[in-house]
Amino acid sequence: MSAATPTALAPAVAIRQLNYYFGRGDLRKQVLYDIDLHLPPGQIVIMTGPSGSGKTTLLTLIGALRSVQSGSLQVLGQEIAGLGKHKLVEVRRNIGFIFQAHNLFASLTACQNVEMAVELQGQFHSKRAQAVQMLEQVGLGDRVDYKPGSLSGGQKQRVAIARALVNSPRLILADEPTAALDKKSGRDVVTLMQHLVKEQDCTILMVTHDNRILDVADRIINLVDGSLESDENLETFVATHDPKALDRRMFIL
Amino acid sequence: MIFLKRTPLAWLNLIHDRWKFLTSLAGVGFAVLLMFLFTGFMNALYDSQLQLLERLNGDIIMVNRLKSNMFVPIAFARRRLDQVRAYAGVSDAYALYISEANWKNPITQRTRPVRVLAFNPADPVLPLPAVLQQRDRLQRLNTALIDTKARAELGPTTAGVITELAEREVRIVGTFTLGTDFASGNGNLIMSDQNFLRYFANRGPDEAQRSFATADVGLIKVAPGTAIEPLVAVLQQEIPNDVLILPRDGPDGFVQRERAYWEENTNIGFVFSLLTGMGFVVGIILVYQILYTDVADHWSEYATLKAMGYRNSFLFWVVIQEALILSTLGFIPGFLVGGLLYGVTGNITGLLFRMTLGRVVTLYVMTYIMCFISGAIAVRKVQAADPAEVFGL
Repeated sequence: MSAATPTALAPAVAIRQLNYYFGRGDLRKQVLYDIDLHLPPGQIVIMTGPSGSGKTTLLTLIGALRSVQSGSLQVLGQEIAGLGKHKLVEVRRNIGFIFQAHNLFASLTACQNVEMAVELQGQFHSKRAQAVQMLEQVGLGDRVDYKPGSLSGGQKQRVAIARALVNSPRLILADEPTAALDKKSGRDVVTLMQHLVKEQDCTILMVTHDNRILDVADRIINLVDGSLESDENLETFVATHDPKALDRRMFIL
Repeated sequence: MIFLKRTPLAWLNLIHDRWKFLTSLAGVGFAVLLMFLFTGFMNALYDSQLQLLERLNGDIIMVNRLKSNMFVPIAFARRRLDQVRAYAGVSDAYALYISEANWKNPITQRTRPVRVLAFNPADPVLPLPAVLQQRDRLQRLNTALIDTKARAELGPTTAGVITELAEREVRIVGTFTLGTDFASGNGNLIMSDQNFLRYFANRGPDEAQRSFATADVGLIKVAPGTAIEPLVAVLQQEIPNDVLILPRDGPDGFVQRERAYWEENTNIGFVFSLLTGMGFVVGIILVYQILYTDVADHWSEYATLKAMGYRNSFLFWVVIQEALILSTLGFIPGFLVGGLLYGVTGNITGLLFRMTLGRVVTLYVMTYIMCFISGAIAVRKVQAADPAEVFGL
């Protein structure tokens, strides 16, 4: 697929020969090496890798939170390499962000927190209705006017998800969304994301170390020392990461 | 209006913790109060010098040219007033006699200096209602009116007090309300010109002898419909220049000249402006602390807003709104307590504490600027918030 194809068919993310460096001069250190990655619409992609492998850097580049230094990066059909800060902000408005921490304003109700996202689209008249409908979809219809202080950890993360999804973004970037949750809440949150993504036909790129939720992935990519080491579907991943298989290989070594 | 439809983030953030909000307001209120008190003292010291002059019933004032301020006891030849009467447009001219004298506190028997203002009771020299009502009583022998705002050192300020003034018996037959200034000693007395002669015509070799040949302040009334400035110019031209003739009001007037004297010859302005400035700086630091804490506490939330696509200008506006709310709501308690303290301090010192609209507005604008500066410093923290850093936290 190329950039010339209509947006609906274009990949949500298309990366070619992406390199990224931190620092300047002698301290310049490369953190991403020749990344090539295509994420078609409608996929849930999980990105794993040891800490320091550049996962977060890649995620923030895709999220238009950093400027691309070299290579090509298309998000939702738009080339963002070379865009100014002002334009990057506009790109971000089409992306849903979910963080490890919920980052909700304690002073705002669940509904108002979600409305803050709707206001970005300028839909002031319908903002309450949209926010309430979204909260109902994440199962918080009875907690609409609660403040985060009186919600549980899982409920807060669901509000954060509602905030990320309320504008129906076609790309969602999630960074360890279940890390701060217990097993059941974590599972609920992921199932919810899976469900909503299928409904809205959007792409999810999720960084996680949580093995309990790998099964929702259509595809698992592994990043090691700034390079894409493997890009496989779930079955292959499970097979290659089978503890028994691992043991055998270690034994040989 | 988009402004009203937006979620009021600034307001909700501020009031989220009620106690913190109230203490914040108390802090801003305190800074406002400091500014009110210091500017209040400064204005009171200046205003008090002028309160007698502003009440004198003359459109044009005549004094001895050497009388650079009301503190200088130099009189001028009263015939100059009679000369002035001859000019077209002058309807009348009155003489005011002023002298300092020792007053004996009837309770403690200690003597204190007071200022005696004297004039012909038939002339409306000082048209305070209390003075006009009681002028018949002044015609009796050795009588005077006393200022109720005289300092407590004079003892009771009521009618019926009998004590000594300039070592002669004096009977207080009534009261009026004026207030003290630098030149008034511990308070003001009013008596008739006839009584004034009885006390001050011959006080002994060390004191100036007073007579009707000289007066301290001349008041010139202008006939209705006469322009004051040209008349003053004519009088200045034609009356011998041992006297100074000035309009009472206006930028070149006598009242302004007196104020300028005290502004130029005392450190009042410098000292109290410095103190007001300190209050201002204290306010900036306080508000900065409040806003900075809010920003620091919500750093990742603000960074998330930026990740979602809010611009720096929006976050700037949120912090500035918080500063605006603090300045407005903090100003109210500062203003109310300030007004209360103006009343109390005014009663104790006899100084004139005036809360004029212009001064209130000035201080509100200062409070707003104070909060705006704090907000502008605090907002740099939000603008520096890098949304990329929220990932991986």
